[in-house]
Amino acid sequence: MAHPTTNLEERLYRTYMEFFEKAERERRWSVFDDIPWDKVNPDAPEDLALCAETFASVEMYLPDYVAGGINVVRDWFGRAWWQANWGYEESKHSLALGEYLVRSGKRTRTQMIELYRTLSEKRWETPFTTARQMTLYGVVQEQATFVIYCKHRDYAKREGDECLFSIYDYIARDEIAHTRFYQAVSEALLEEDRAGTLADLAFVFANFKMPGVDLVPDYDERILKMRSEGSVDRDLFIRKIYLPVLKFLNIGRHEMLSAQRAALEARPQR
Amino acid sequence: MTDKHDLLPMFKTVAARVDKRSFDDVTRASVITDLGVDSLSMMQIVGEMETELSIQIPDEDLVEIVTVGDLCSRVERRLV
Repeated sequence: MAHPTTNLEERLYRTYMEFFEKAERERRWSVFDDIPWDKVNPDAPEDLALCAETFASVEMYLPDYVAGGINVVRDWFGRAWWQANWGYEESKHSLALGEYLVRSGKRTRTQMIELYRTLSEKRWETPFTTARQMTLYGVVQEQATFVIYCKHRDYAKREGDECLFSIYDYIARDEIAHTRFYQAVSEALLEEDRAGTLADLAFVFANFKMPGVDLVPDYDERILKMRSEGSVDRDLFIRKIYLPVLKFLNIGRHEMLSAQRAALEARPQR
Repeated sequence: MTDKHDLLPMFKTVAARVDKRSFDDVTRASVITDLGVDSLSMMQIVGEMETELSIQIPDEDLVEIVTVGDLCSRVERRLV
């Protein structure tokens, strides 16, 4: 892996320190103290629990995400430290969702351990190979995750489960903060090599898939359930992910066309 | 100026170029997702049509496009 230039490395370190300071001062929350566990709705429908279990399942691949992610950016001081902090924040997501499933009575502790065993039989592999591609994947994936958690936060509210609403709210806040960090890094990468970064962004868009695909048991059936309650369809992808990502990075739609054409042509025939 | 009847053939040509398959059977009533065109290909098709016609559809209009006819109508509006 090419080592970053000193200027870029310093800039990304500062970006991380700003992110970390804000996280420490404004965004920290506790699984034990901040979630209104007494406001679980035990009568909420099974579909609500199934969606929470699916999120928990995807989050449970955390060891693979951390291992894969940190090795790609190991030589980048700020970014390697970011990965460590990111892992801490994401670990709370899976813990909170797992606790919700048990405390709501929707799953037993034994069932959760069995689920974790089943999940650990498969391993998540990094979908892209370079630090820049993984950063851009982070932009898209965290933005998508934020959008999905917001929709499910609304679903929890509709079902009168204030506890799950609160969990999704905390998670969504973390996810959008992660998106902003990846976007800030991407801005720096664009300044350093705009054409190359656009090519990588197009490549990531063309080959993007959410991390749970092919890993979580019964994923397709789960997604059908989740879609009815708020997953990402084409309209949402364009409106809430594709266009906002381009806008934030100050990239015009037409500027993407050349790189996008190349990425689509290189994509395996479906 | 491109009239209404030229846009469907144009869509078929651009879509075939982007998605590397035939779109000969497509009509203006065809729902784009039913054609198996994913989000990114859709954005590419729209972008290439805009470039060829030297127009730009506002981003907020893009999300309202469901059928091929919806896309053609929005292009036509910019051509008037």
